Amino acid sequence: MYTLFDFLTHTKGLGYIVAGLLLLAYIPFWRFLTEREREG
Amino acid sequence: MSVSRRGFIGGAIGAALGAGAADAGTVKQFPGHPGRYGLLHDTTLCVGCRSCEAACARVNELPLPPGPLDDAEVFAARRRTTDTALTVVNRYVEAPVDGPPVYRKLQCMHCNEPCCATVCPVHAFEKTPEGPVLYDPEVCMGCRYCIMACPYNALAYEYDKVLTPRVMRCTMCYPRIKDGLVPGCAEACPMGAITFGEREQLIAVARERIRKFPDRYVDHIYGEHEFGGTSWLVLSGTPFEELDLLPGVTHEPLPAIGTSYLGVVPLVITIYPGLLLGMYAFSKRQQAVAKEEQERAVGAALAQAGEDAQKKLATAAERAAKDKERAVEAAVKKALAEHQQGGGS
Amino acid sequence: MSDAAVGAAAQGAGARSILTPFNLVTGLILAGGAVILGLRFTQGLAATTNLTHTYPWGLWIGFDVMSGVALAAGGFVTSSAVYLFGMKEYKPIVRPALLTGFLGYFLVVLGLLADLGRPWRLPYPFIKQAGPTSPLFEVALCVALYLTVLFIESTPAAFEWLGWKKLRKLVGSLTIGLTVLGLILSTMHQSTLGAMYMVTPTKLHALWYSSHIPVHFFVSAVAAGIAMVIVEGMFSHRAFHHQVQISTEHFERINFGLAKAGAVALAVYFAVKVVGLAIEDEWALLATGWGAWFLVELLGFVLLPGLMFAVAYRERRLGLARAAAVITALGIMLNRFNITFVAFNWNLPPAERYLPSWMEIWVTVAFITFAVVAFRWIASRMPIMYEHPEWRGQH
Repeated sequence: MYTLFDFLTHTKGLGYIVAGLLLLAYIPFWRFLTEREREG
Repeated sequence: MSVSRRGFIGGAIGAALGAGAADAGTVKQFPGHPGRYGLLHDTTLCVGCRSCEAACARVNELPLPPGPLDDAEVFAARRRTTDTALTVVNRYVEAPVDGPPVYRKLQCMHCNEPCCATVCPVHAFEKTPEGPVLYDPEVCMGCRYCIMACPYNALAYEYDKVLTPRVMRCTMCYPRIKDGLVPGCAEACPMGAITFGEREQLIAVARERIRKFPDRYVDHIYGEHEFGGTSWLVLSGTPFEELDLLPGVTHEPLPAIGTSYLGVVPLVITIYPGLLLGMYAFSKRQQAVAKEEQERAVGAALAQAGEDAQKKLATAAERAAKDKERAVEAAVKKALAEHQQGGGS
Repeated sequence: MSDAAVGAAAQGAGARSILTPFNLVTGLILAGGAVILGLRFTQGLAATTNLTHTYPWGLWIGFDVMSGVALAAGGFVTSSAVYLFGMKEYKPIVRPALLTGFLGYFLVVLGLLADLGRPWRLPYPFIKQAGPTSPLFEVALCVALYLTVLFIESTPAAFEWLGWKKLRKLVGSLTIGLTVLGLILSTMHQSTLGAMYMVTPTKLHALWYSSHIPVHFFVSAVAAGIAMVIVEGMFSHRAFHHQVQISTEHFERINFGLAKAGAVALAVYFAVKVVGLAIEDEWALLATGWGAWFLVELLGFVLLPGLMFAVAYRERRLGLARAAAVITALGIMLNRFNITFVAFNWNLPPAERYLPSWMEIWVTVAFITFAVVAFRWIASRMPIMYEHPEWRGQH
């Protein structure tokens, strides 16, 4: 990691992947949270 | 050299990811590749012969600049680099009071932290360990953000090509450097206005020249720190703004400035779902509560109406019954009275 | 409006001659646009545009991409209001707004395909090599995803029209999730389009450059979206009057609600810009020629329509609200043009400045025409301006 550009490429790339996975993980979490509501 | 804005957090993440930070918890430093090359352009030595322009065209197999090289008319207008001229020399001061005209050679500055690389959506630029910033036409889609962003206006585009347009810029003669040669312009310059060497050494050389000849030079090495520093270092006898080099430019690297807002992206992605679904649940609850209250009110009103109706009915029935009684009593009385009258006569 | 009557109305329109004035004019514009694009792809950008090395971005970026994205913001604003914040009275305008949004973003992609040096490489950031440090990478990713979201959000109307009940039910169940995703994506790319200019402090005039430029872009996009919903309603309500099921009174109430929202959005935008002047200490710049131009934009196209919206809402004057909407939309375009090529490289002599070529203008007009024609075709057949009788009262 000699340059800021290298560092940013690495961290931002990882950031997109991590944030995207967390967003997807939110779906089953929400469904789990509201399961009883949907059962009525 | 270039201090990251990430600071402590960057240092911690860097250490966790094994990015090579020696000690976590310190401000992250990016010194750049050690021993990388640069060029020193001493404008006090430049005489505007444009040998560098010709050498550059030959090395890159581009057309030579039109007209004779020594035609002074070409300096009447300020030129910029184009898709066929990767470097140009401009005359900035035509007839100064105390000396010859002042010229400067323009080209890609091969920044320590390249702005073009930062803004490219396909990572078409790379800062090599040797120093030059390279462009890969194999991935470029021609968005021209790099051209728009470069603060030195050093990049150009092949607008007249349909299938293979490329971004055109100085390459610091990377293939020649790899072969142990010197860039074409540095080799061609007859006045020694362009010196090729290790960047750190060139800075020392520049400092020494300023120290030795304080009346000759402005006491500043342009490119040492501007926007995080460049590989091309410029010395001048006139103020740099007269050479179209902006003074007072921040030392903060353009990648830091250009990407600072992107830190918001993971925040929006992770905070918005909870926030928005919370608002959604809240508004649904409001609607449900409002519905419930309305139903209760209607129900209460109906019940009340029912009660009232019942009461009215009961009262009416009572009255009716009483009326009936009275009517019966009256009829009985009348009948008795009539009977008594009839019996007495 | 009964199903049969709508069908008859649509049929009737098609049974008449195809050579209506509308079709002739739009056909001419579209044909001309196709010819110019043919030139662009056989002779290059040099032959069809006035782009230079100093002005690599011109009208196709300044309008088709920058303004287009802002003006198409009505989709996420109305769908969020109705589905997330429970403002059910605006339900009738969600579908037209989403359709306008979808066609608007489609226009953005068309503009990009015309402008890129190698448009066939548009998917490269995702399939070949990513440049995650680039704000443009984020914009590309978000716009691609958001176009998909808008497309899916437009399918319920199509499925109702086609009678595909199962698919209709499926996409209907996705509404909340898609709306949340749409708001996430819109927040990000609307603001990041502004963030693309963070890296040009030496080129963009100080009155337009700001460390808060992403906030400026997002807030102005909200205002632009609201304005475009009103503008679009102006035309579609009249053109599709025979389909509309809500009362004039309800439609007017919706417009006044939008005017109220527009007033607030423009007030916020105005405030953010004034704060920008303060924190960068730029008051002295207002006295310059550029300052005068900045004030024209800020006072004439932000403050003025904001006040017009406020008065229109208070006094219930529909014409005034519509005029305010038009001025707001023009103001957003003016702002994006200023940032892309007017106040960009502001210190260059006039000879080196950029003005779009007539061919660039024609292509842009052709793209807009295409969107109008598509909207008309879709809305005259599918339940956009009305509720399908089998799906009344549902998502």
